Amino acid sequence: MAEFSVLVIDDEQEFVSTLVRRLCKRGWASEGVLTGGEAIRKIAAGNFAVALLDMRLPDMDGSEVLREIMKISPQTRVVILTGHASASEGEEGIRNGAFDYLIKPVEFETLLEKLQAARKRSP
Amino acid sequence: MTSLFDRIASLFSSKPKLKPAELQAAFRSHYKEFRSLLTANNNALELMAEMEQALSVGKSFGMAFIRGNCTALSVNIYKMIQHLNRLADGRYAGLDQPFRAITRQLEQIIASRPATTEGAAILSMAEVDAGMVDQVGEKMANLGEVRNRVGLRTPDGFVMTAVAVRHFTQVNDLQVEINRRLKGLDLDNLEELYTVSAGIQGLISNAPLPEDLEEAILAHYQQLATDAESELLVALRSSAIGEDSSNVSFAGQYRTQLNVSREFVGQAYKEIVAGKYKSQAIVYRQQRGFRHQDVHMCVGCLRMVDAAISGVLYSRAPDDPRSSFVMIQAAPGLAGNVVDGSAATEQLRVSRTVPYDILDRQFGAGREGGGGASLLRLSAAQAAELAEVGVRLEEHFGAPQDIEWSIDQAGLLYILQSRPLGRPVPGEPPVLIAHSPAADELSDLPAPLFAGGVCVSRGVGCGPVFMVRSSLDLLRFPKGAVLVVETPYPDWASLLDRAAAVISETGQVAAHLATVAREFGVPAIFGMKQALTALENHHLVTVDATAGKVYGGRVEPLLALAPPKPNLMAGSPVYKILREAMEYITPLNLTDPTSPFFRSDSCQTLHDLTRFCHEKAVVEMFNFGERYGFDDKAAKQLVVDAPSQWWVIDLDDGFRQDFDPESRYVDLGHIVSVPMLAIWQGMTAFPWAGPPPVSLRGFGSIIFQSTRNTNLDPAVRSSLVAKNYFLISKNFCNLSVRLGYHFALVEANLGEFLTENYVSFQFKGGAADENRRLLRIRLISDILNEFGFRVEQKADAMTARIEKNTSLFLQERLKILGYLIIHTRQIDMVMGDEGMVAQYQQKIMADLHTLLQTGEGGMT
Repeated sequence: MAEFSVLVIDDEQEFVSTLVRRLCKRGWASEGVLTGGEAIRKIAAGNFAVALLDMRLPDMDGSEVLREIMKISPQTRVVILTGHASASEGEEGIRNGAFDYLIKPVEFETLLEKLQAARKRSP
Repeated sequence: MTSLFDRIASLFSSKPKLKPAELQAAFRSHYKEFRSLLTANNNALELMAEMEQALSVGKSFGMAFIRGNCTALSVNIYKMIQHLNRLADGRYAGLDQPFRAITRQLEQIIASRPATTEGAAILSMAEVDAGMVDQVGEKMANLGEVRNRVGLRTPDGFVMTAVAVRHFTQVNDLQVEINRRLKGLDLDNLEELYTVSAGIQGLISNAPLPEDLEEAILAHYQQLATDAESELLVALRSSAIGEDSSNVSFAGQYRTQLNVSREFVGQAYKEIVAGKYKSQAIVYRQQRGFRHQDVHMCVGCLRMVDAAISGVLYSRAPDDPRSSFVMIQAAPGLAGNVVDGSAATEQLRVSRTVPYDILDRQFGAGREGGGGASLLRLSAAQAAELAEVGVRLEEHFGAPQDIEWSIDQAGLLYILQSRPLGRPVPGEPPVLIAHSPAADELSDLPAPLFAGGVCVSRGVGCGPVFMVRSSLDLLRFPKGAVLVVETPYPDWASLLDRAAAVISETGQVAAHLATVAREFGVPAIFGMKQALTALENHHLVTVDATAGKVYGGRVEPLLALAPPKPNLMAGSPVYKILREAMEYITPLNLTDPTSPFFRSDSCQTLHDLTRFCHEKAVVEMFNFGERYGFDDKAAKQLVVDAPSQWWVIDLDDGFRQDFDPESRYVDLGHIVSVPMLAIWQGMTAFPWAGPPPVSLRGFGSIIFQSTRNTNLDPAVRSSLVAKNYFLISKNFCNLSVRLGYHFALVEANLGEFLTENYVSFQFKGGAADENRRLLRIRLISDILNEFGFRVEQKADAMTARIEKNTSLFLQERLKILGYLIIHTRQIDMVMGDEGMVAQYQQKIMADLHTLLQTGEGGMT
């Protein structure tokens, strides 16, 4: 497992596969999962520096996944990346330990900057 | 209106007689139609006013507003036509035809779409020029022009045209779903806006590209990669059609993707197409009056320039089209660093004439601090080359230009974009640097909290501070707050329609956010270093961007100086549609009811129809008595102390309820008609002085000798008079008077709606020769003019009108008319004598002023 890897958690397959390929191309070892359950298994097994987390997942609520991740892998920086803009949900996410809150779509270059920033702060 | 007079004059002759109850029923039904017509008239005029205001005031409106108002307007005018025809037993059926013609025109205008685009799905930049805006969008058309007509270097590339995006959209059947999601979107709800925007963009980005389009894109990509490059990288740039017709730059609203490799070209294309629905683009289009379906997202695919230094070049100072220098913003690397406000930049002012001397240069700190900028200075030769390019492009395009450029590692200059420089606010002095002559003159200003930075958008704004550091803050931004940021990212642009002012710690005038702030008229200071630390959220501040100062609290004298917000809609497609529609709505061609062209088939606009229906409705009400004669029992003789020679007919509710309908007489005390009582007050306020002493030249003195009579009894000689009737209801009065040789008619409606209130007065005739009759009419006209009447005169007949005023105001006018009816009898006989005229005029005016001052001081 690469040191600076990203886990993309989103239920849109097309989005996940494109983003993972793009990230890999720019030197970020990345993987993608489509459900919260898978995400938690991956996080528990691997060493992800950053998780890009969608708040709408088929099996679990995003905030639930966030709390789980913070529990099992507190060193992972979780960046919420959601298409469902909600200030209260965002606030709750930040309160529960999310590193940043982004609204889709994010320019790829901007996303890279955010990942960079998350990685820098990674313990 | 001779024919009307004749009709009115014959009002009481040989009509089929109606019983009092029948007469009242007929009046009630007519009156109801009349009032409904006036209500529709009222609505129509209000709708027109609202539409005119939308054109002039610059509030934002969309097609829904135009469609809604046009429909409501048509409905009201249709109602007016219906009511008028019921009033007149269908005699105005001819209105149907012009009404249909006008509404058909309006429908066509509202449904109009820009010309459909045709041709190739992909065009090489080598074949693009400014004439191809409708195929490749403004940005790429201009870039093609720069390359192929001006002959400057631009990156090689190609454009996915409007045909391509239509193909993509249609194959995936996207538009219906997009429209469904946008319908009813509340722009004030930021969460909803961002969610809908993200959803639509996801929808587009995840839709598959049609195979043929994808193949064509890759084939063109392959052609670019002729050299033995390991991997060609391209930049994909949005180039929207329909975004730029009114100096609207949509600065930074759409997306650009840099360093895209073959694998991601298709995806990047879809994402840029999706960028049409970025939240700020949705807001921006709505604010500026663009229809979503009129904007077609073309995409330019250009070879990446391996940039050593890049920037923005203004062929004139952004807010001064007369400046004698070009302005250059430069930063190491890609141009995006300058326009997204993040990089430390060098700013140069360079003379516009050979040898293009550098006038000055200064450094602006970027987000990462200002240190690196000094390492990379634009050489004098590069500055001169840029200045020359700026002047050339301005000459070619005929307007100051805003140009993006890069110089590659080999020192070659590439033009990436050239567009008209955002229009400066009219009448603004040419100052960019913080200085505010108007504010300087204000004394008693409090000490500012701090000062500095660069004014990137003039003006003064006041509101609570709200700092935005993240997307989360974005969602919580309150309307009317002062936006405080570290870096002026283009993403913050979606807040500009709700921000009172903008303060940024970094950035400069070329940042996209600055451009959008100028377009929205939001005052903005950039490069104000201590802003985030010195300010606190929710603290009220006044930002004087022009002077570069921030004050605590609300500073009224400064806010009073703030220029009005620009009309964001002016020139936009929706604005144009409304303006076009208005040509069939507001112009008034039927101004003169006495003209032979005052006919239904002359109606060319909805306003004409409104005016025509209103005028004819009033006439039809006048004709009420003519069309429905009444039997003598309906008319009650008015009793004031003793029976007078005035008769009153109650049409509805003009008598007190305890009035005995069998009585032949009506006491003044039983009359509750507001307009009649006002007229009566005027008639009786002053005793009539009798006919004037007639000079020897006066004709018919004998007749007038016999009319010397100081009471109000007009029935002097039965051969000369008809009975004088008041037709009344509580709010309505129609009085026809034949006094001596002249005929007068007063009609008034004093209801609840201002727009249905009117007083009209007609006056005709006299015994003296024409010249003296005209002189009398002129005297009366002058007096009525003085009291606000609109007077029209034709031969010796005069019509005076006053409308849409309060009941109290109109009652005063009715008193004046009552007075004039009595006191101008027979003064035509003396109108040849200037001295007498002056004397009469003086006396009349004095009386009238007394009458109005004393108010209730009538003699009744």
